Amino acid sequence: MEDFEFLRNITIGQYLPGDSIIHRLDPRTKISVFLFITIAVTFSVSYTGNIILVLVTLSLVLLSGVSMRYVFSGIKPAIPIIIILATLQLLLYGEGFVPYGMQSKTYFHWGIIHITNGSVQLVIVSAMRFVELLFLTSLLTNTTTLANITHGMENMLRPFSRIGVPSHELSLVATIALRFVPLLAEQLEIIMKAQASRGADIAHKGKLQFVTTARQVAVLIVPLFIDAFRRAEDLILAMQARCYVGGRGRSSLVQLRFARMDYVAYALSLVFSAVMLVFRNSFPF
Amino acid sequence: MSREPFIQVNDLHHNYLRDTPLEVTALRGVSMEIHKGESVGIIGRTGAGKSTVVQHFNGLIRPREPGKVIVDGQDLSDPQVDVRRIRQKIGLVFQYPEQQLFERLVGDDIAFGPKKLGMEQADRRERVKWAMEMVGLDFEEFKDRFTFSLSGGEMRKAALAGVLALQPEMLILDESTSGVDPRSRKELLGRLLALHKEHGLTLAFVSPNMEDMAGLVDRIYVMDKGRVVMSGTTREVFSQPERLREHGLGVPQVTEVAHELIGRGVPVERIPVTVEEGEEEIWKILNS
Repeated sequence: MEDFEFLRNITIGQYLPGDSIIHRLDPRTKISVFLFITIAVTFSVSYTGNIILVLVTLSLVLLSGVSMRYVFSGIKPAIPIIIILATLQLLLYGEGFVPYGMQSKTYFHWGIIHITNGSVQLVIVSAMRFVELLFLTSLLTNTTTLANITHGMENMLRPFSRIGVPSHELSLVATIALRFVPLLAEQLEIIMKAQASRGADIAHKGKLQFVTTARQVAVLIVPLFIDAFRRAEDLILAMQARCYVGGRGRSSLVQLRFARMDYVAYALSLVFSAVMLVFRNSFPF
Repeated sequence: MSREPFIQVNDLHHNYLRDTPLEVTALRGVSMEIHKGESVGIIGRTGAGKSTVVQHFNGLIRPREPGKVIVDGQDLSDPQVDVRRIRQKIGLVFQYPEQQLFERLVGDDIAFGPKKLGMEQADRRERVKWAMEMVGLDFEEFKDRFTFSLSGGEMRKAALAGVLALQPEMLILDESTSGVDPRSRKELLGRLLALHKEHGLTLAFVSPNMEDMAGLVDRIYVMDKGRVVMSGTTREVFSQPERLREHGLGVPQVTEVAHELIGRGVPVERIPVTVEEGEEEIWKILNS
């Protein structure tokens, strides 16, 4: 049975009101913590390192009070692609890949297919990294309003405006991009409902389902884009009507202020990420 | 009127964003019945759940336990049901027409439904022509126009034509005629009413505006906060302005005037719901 409510599947970028420690942190702190740990994740290739990172990010999500089910429901639509990628990695990546902390061992070899302990490690580590990044993104976007993220970003980029970085414009672009995600989901829902109401076969079941789905998506893209452009034009008009002129001399309603918790979070995440980076090659396996 | 209702809705509940922390309740136990050949109004202020209910009628939203939606004898909670056939029988025109035109050219957009029905090219052309005439869009002038270059009112007409082209047994208009200029609106509704009277087209109008309903519908369901709070014939519902006001709704101006007259001790025999009826009543009072 078809379900048109795509908004239900979009969990990343959706602010959930709450009053946890994480919610109360300054957005700049959260963005920095996010960046620090993301760097640690990017450079961590060992099992040990990733186990530590999964545990740390998991406990942070638990601390934020966002439900695990909600965090994971966001990746449901992506699961088929993840499985395909993982399978390709497992089958084709084994040759010449040296696993971290152990001797190379080939489990299976036939033609271009190499399954080694290296490719197994790669798949498992990739999966763990994926989960870590998912946790981090959810941590930032589920606990911070879009307005605050933008505000924080703009604030952090401001020092660079001396060398010509348009900090206000950049953060505005990011905000609008994020804001359009749920709008596009809603629009997709409306178009699909309109097509279904006029006899389009949305929930087609059968052998060639994959092909028909792809064709249907192609039919949806054009009206979706036309609508996105129309909305963008409306947005320009609305901004001009309110005399929007850009970042120069613009004051803001909310003044960001660091509290003691922010310094603690900053220091802890910086030290943690530094340790993870420096010792990334010292883990036993 | 057949005894078995065409659409039967029983204890319908619906939550948007189900299973997420942002879940919102839209329906809290709605029951309705619509018979073949009837013209029914569903009114309520914004957020009452009107659009959610009508999307159940053609299976865009499927009922969840314990709710039941039975359309023409078929239970829509059964996943095996052929919803495409249901959707051909029950045409739904949405609230925002500019969001439901998805082809490039007006003619192609209206032909989408007939094409999906597997009609031949020549029949399709006839069908599109008929549908466009019904809504008052000139076939030759509009068929090759870009859908996104239409004005708001024209878009509404085109969207309506796209649904009419399926020749449904029932037509649901979800605020689909607001924004159409008064004259074309009157013509359009006149043609729909003709279809209703001559061919037994079942009609359902969804609107927050009472004025829209007067003279169009036989029965009214009033919704508020996800429930049906009042129901009855148009006259029955309009004769209770206080209760309607409680639910954030008004009555047509002419009905308002009649209630005002009664309040000042003028005997009004029959509460009018249309301007014509009002005129008749006032003549009666003046002549007596």
